[in-house]
Amino acid sequence: MDDVPTQTLPDASVEQEEKTAVADPWVTIVWNDPVNLMSYVTYVFESYFGHPRPKAEKLMKQVHEQGRAVVSTGSLEAMEVDVQAMHGFGLWATLQRSGQ
Amino acid sequence: MRAFKRRRGMYAARLDTDERDVIAALVADVAELLGAGRLEARGPEVVAAGDGTPRMRIEPVPPPSDPAVRRLLPDASHDDPQIAAEFRRLTEDDLRAGKIERLTRLWDALTTPTEGWRADAFVVAPQDAQDVAAAITDLRLVLAERLGIRTDEQAERLYDALLDSPAAEVADDPVEILDPAARRYLVAVYGALSWLQESLVDLLLHDLRAPGRPADQ
Repeated sequence: MDDVPTQTLPDASVEQEEKTAVADPWVTIVWNDPVNLMSYVTYVFESYFGHPRPKAEKLMKQVHEQGRAVVSTGSLEAMEVDVQAMHGFGLWATLQRSGQ
Repeated sequence: MRAFKRRRGMYAARLDTDERDVIAALVADVAELLGAGRLEARGPEVVAAGDGTPRMRIEPVPPPSDPAVRRLLPDASHDDPQIAAEFRRLTEDDLRAGKIERLTRLWDALTTPTEGWRADAFVVAPQDAQDVAAAITDLRLVLAERLGIRTDEQAERLYDALLDSPAAEVADDPVEILDPAARRYLVAVYGALSWLQESLVDLLLHDLRAPGRPADQ
């Protein structure tokens, strides 16, 4: 590989990260509560977000055991839609800036 | 009471008259908490909680003072009152209307026999089941708030109490306004609704995970 001339293309991975940071500055967090059934929370994550079963169950366990989980990322407007949907389902969700 | 099962293309549970009356009264209570008035007394002209007209609130909406209502319409930020206030201004009317509408349909379903089914059948069409499950969540959230259930441990103790001695204390700091008989009653209703909801969600999950398989097989 020593013979390959130095590439002048920008570092794709760095650019991708920056792009993500700019495009997804907000997150939706679902908080644990003592009422919602584990099966119901899993159902909400599968049906609303379209997560496959393993991911939905992993997020549900994270909420239950760690008290909270990030369930979606995106623009403020998109997160408002997700938080409102979660409140519609009876889950307690909040939104905040990514990385806070 | 019998749990939800798949029957004739529908999800059907069994609730006798007393059980229906208890749940329907709770549904009406929660709808009233959300500002719907009494469902029993509504005229045909006020069936729709929201008339579909887009509304834009200019003024801020204060958070609900009743903690049970605040749990149904929670703050959208833990630490930023401005974000929470803005979210409430933008969404609370729609959320309230949606929850009231869902409760109203549940109340109608509980108080209207389904033609062609036995008298104690509580029949939910698969496409309505998610709304029924979500409405039951709202009922359980309100009951839990009234019972002072704030932690997973308290909820566990409540289920244990149902199995062992119904008089056991559930909350560390029991709500003083509830006498023991009222508390036992609410605990029993909470337990029954949890069990009923679990059976419905099991069916929903099963059908969601088997997309090639119609719900009515």
